[in-house]
Amino acid sequence: MSTLEDLKTAVINGKRKDVKVIVPELLESGVEPTSLLQDALIPAMAIVGERFKNNEVFVPEMLVSARAMKQAMAIIEPKLLEAGISPEYTAIIGTVEGDLHDIGKNLVATMWKGTGFDVIDLGVNVPAAKFLEAIDEYKPQIVGLSTLLTTTMPAMKETVAAIRNAGHSKVMILIGGAPITQSYADEIGADGFSKDAGSAVDIAKTTLGIA
Amino acid sequence: MLHPPYAILACDVFSDELIELGGDPPPWRALEFLEMGLHDQPDKLRQKIQQSIHDLESDREVQAIVLAYGRCGNGLVGIRAQRCPLILPQAHDCISILLGGREAHDAQLKKTPGTYFYSPGWVRGKRVPGPDREAYLREFYAERYADDEDMIDELVEVDRDAFEHHNCAAYVSIVDRPATADYCKDCAKHMQWEHTTLKGDPSFLQDLLNGNWQPTRFLTVEPGQCVAADVEGNLVAID
Repeated sequence: MSTLEDLKTAVINGKRKDVKVIVPELLESGVEPTSLLQDALIPAMAIVGERFKNNEVFVPEMLVSARAMKQAMAIIEPKLLEAGISPEYTAIIGTVEGDLHDIGKNLVATMWKGTGFDVIDLGVNVPAAKFLEAIDEYKPQIVGLSTLLTTTMPAMKETVAAIRNAGHSKVMILIGGAPITQSYADEIGADGFSKDAGSAVDIAKTTLGIA
Repeated sequence: MLHPPYAILACDVFSDELIELGGDPPPWRALEFLEMGLHDQPDKLRQKIQQSIHDLESDREVQAIVLAYGRCGNGLVGIRAQRCPLILPQAHDCISILLGGREAHDAQLKKTPGTYFYSPGWVRGKRVPGPDREAYLREFYAERYADDEDMIDELVEVDRDAFEHHNCAAYVSIVDRPATADYCKDCAKHMQWEHTTLKGDPSFLQDLLNGNWQPTRFLTVEPGQCVAADVEGNLVAID
């Protein structure tokens, strides 16, 4: 009989096929879907994030773990819906205009989903106008902007300004990406900055006041 | 142009261009290359650069150290020298340098955001997206995950996913390397991308080699100062 610890290990080691077997077993044995998230998936990704920071694993290994987590989420999400558990918070996320690098953005989207947010992923190369449309449509509490390139940092600044100028003063804008720093976040008027995907969960919760 | 006797510490990605543009005799007193691709592991890059600066400074004839690097995942932030000034290009990455500056790089990305850039160095490194990348990766990962075929398959798949938004292979040409240029065309075909050749602009590397270290293009970090990045992402020197 599989345990939550087995699930955690499978995600850490990127064993998507094992996850596919373990998750239904755990659900059948009566483990709550939310417990799978809180007690196995999220801690697993936190450990992967920690190993990444310590240079024990690299981005590809982290992505393989994220795929395993996604696999688990695909089974768990319908169960959450059945149980009438709907996300309390909505986040939209995308890479800014001109930037097609979505590895970091995808990791953050997976982590936020795992935390229980409804995540609307706008994809890559997203113009400011598209972020504004999505804000009107989905009324998110959080907007996540990502960029890998220093060349597209100005697009991030413009997007933040466009959101603020459109009067969305309450939506929390969180930014991230290799060249981004806290001082850049302060400079362009973002509400928060995350150095990596693991910290993106903490910063989102802190910003929303639910940490 | 007059310049002090200097050493170049360069990413191996520039070796074709630097050696050809350097001519014979070359203008440097010493030239050292570090393996390419270290921008993926910025801490390791920083450590290796710092060590090499230390080694190059031990040659008392060397009066300046020129770094042929861009931002490279912030791998240069935090480095310092004790005796020699450090000269660093103000460039996003090697492609900006090969294209002569940020304008041409920005223009191509604006025109085709899905551009993946190729150069002789990157092709030599055998890790560019194309017909040989998967074999390279399988060999690379086999060292770590020898007994785990599933893991290797997963790693190859996530690598493939990383290129799904790209649609153009752009070959940046400064030095004439017909076989490499052809290989880039093969890569474009393999990836089902369009192909374009961008004429490189050697002026950035020429300025670097000739000691024309204008502050608009190059940052000078005095001995004892440390490299940092400002809010806009430019490199700056701090005490």
